[in-house]
Amino acid sequence: MMLSFFSDLFQQDFMLRALFAGIILGAMAPVIGSIVTVRRLSFIADTLGHFSLVGISVSLFLSTFGFAMFLEKPLYLGIFFSVVGGFLIELFRRSYKNYKEISMVIVISLGSALSAIFFSLAKKTGSLYNYLFGSILTITDYYLVIILVTAVIVTLLFVIFGKQILSVSFDETTAKFLGINVSLFQMLFMIVLSVVVSVLLESAGVLLISSMMIIPVAAAMRIGWSYKSTLVISVVFSELSVLFGLWMAYSLRIPSGAAIVSVNIIILLIVAINKRMRDRRQIKKLDKLK
Amino acid sequence: MQIDIRNLSFAYGHKTIINGLSHTINPGDYLVIQGKNGSGKSTLIKCLLGINSVKNGMIFLDDDDINTFNKWTKFGYVSQNFDSFNYEFPLTVQELLKFSSITKASEHNYLMLLDQMGILDIVNDNVNSLSGGQLQRVFIVKAMLNDPEVLILDEPTASIDKQNSEFFYKTVDELNKQGKTIILITHTDSIENLNYTHILNMGLDLTTTITTKPIEGDEES
Repeated sequence: MMLSFFSDLFQQDFMLRALFAGIILGAMAPVIGSIVTVRRLSFIADTLGHFSLVGISVSLFLSTFGFAMFLEKPLYLGIFFSVVGGFLIELFRRSYKNYKEISMVIVISLGSALSAIFFSLAKKTGSLYNYLFGSILTITDYYLVIILVTAVIVTLLFVIFGKQILSVSFDETTAKFLGINVSLFQMLFMIVLSVVVSVLLESAGVLLISSMMIIPVAAAMRIGWSYKSTLVISVVFSELSVLFGLWMAYSLRIPSGAAIVSVNIIILLIVAINKRMRDRRQIKKLDKLK
Repeated sequence: MQIDIRNLSFAYGHKTIINGLSHTINPGDYLVIQGKNGSGKSTLIKCLLGINSVKNGMIFLDDDDINTFNKWTKFGYVSQNFDSFNYEFPLTVQELLKFSSITKASEHNYLMLLDQMGILDIVNDNVNSLSGGQLQRVFIVKAMLNDPEVLILDEPTASIDKQNSEFFYKTVDELNKQGKTIILITHTDSIENLNYTHILNMGLDLTTTITTKPIEGDEES
């Protein structure tokens, strides 16, 4: 089974596309996910995913009026609505300063309701399954280019503004004493996050986006000793999940997004159990020394 | 940096917290703000830091209205309990200080400052493994890193023991002697041994009194 997977991987175009896309997304998702986790906004990717789905459903709805472009490339409106969702979260977050999660509940509810309405009006609820659970094996060349461009933007952003992004994320209140325009950076990050979420939508699906972003980081946090090490470990976990997930999806004929996230969860469990056992051994050692 | 507070009033809803406060803090001053919980100390600091927007009265920072002021790198701020900082995510002291440095010079400065604070040995430690006293000193280094003119310390010794507290105040005295303006908020500490220049007492009944430490007090140290 493993051999046929590898031979198909380099012979079938769709497999190669899925591999490239998976590797890029596997690095990008935890990099963005680490910042989201530091900002204690782990729920945000889910929220933006639901709002991005509004764009997809509106695209399908508009395509029923003969606008073929919207049917072929629903991602544009997906990105647009995801960015709108990001702005709405920031807007509500300022009204409920001490209850960040309220803003997300409002936006996720609105996103779910609007998506349901437009999918229903478009009479194409069948395609909903793909957007809920994703399929990296069916992505096109065009989509691969979009992923590459997004990855370049994210990399540039982190290379140029890494210090500022970390300062604002770790401590919003004191970041302005470092000469940072905090509001501008929050908005900039929200826009980039919205774009990344929309790009992840097709491969991971709206229900699994935040898992790809957050679970590798959650596992890495258990064993990382610094920000840098946590980031590197999370990317390694994420890439392992992509590779094993692709193999599982191909071999077992199951949705790729679900397979990738399942591997992510298995890694998290192994790390958590291993950490607990190590801690217990250390406590026993200390007890013996006493 | 001169901080000029003119007839400042502030209210949360209908509840007035500060009523008509006026005071000028000159460069090199060491102002201690004292008062019980709820007397408005932290509210005043939030006004001075531009976190609370000033609508009644005015604050001028070097002749700039605080509502349009943007040279915040002149301020260093250490908050009470560091509650706005996420110190649960893995992060070393070195990483924290590196991304908090504005210039290359300040990036090289952090080792010297850690040494001055007596915590050079924790440079590679994880922030979430530090004791209250160590964390306190790390955040002072962070506030000092970019050579601010004004250092604002909100109840800085609330979570540290007596020995660390004494060491901390000696460090603050030293910084003040180097010309830094110090604004220190406290509600429990005994302040007789501090080398402050002024005390601002804030009462629960909205009264504020400002006293200047007698000259001989300065000479005691």
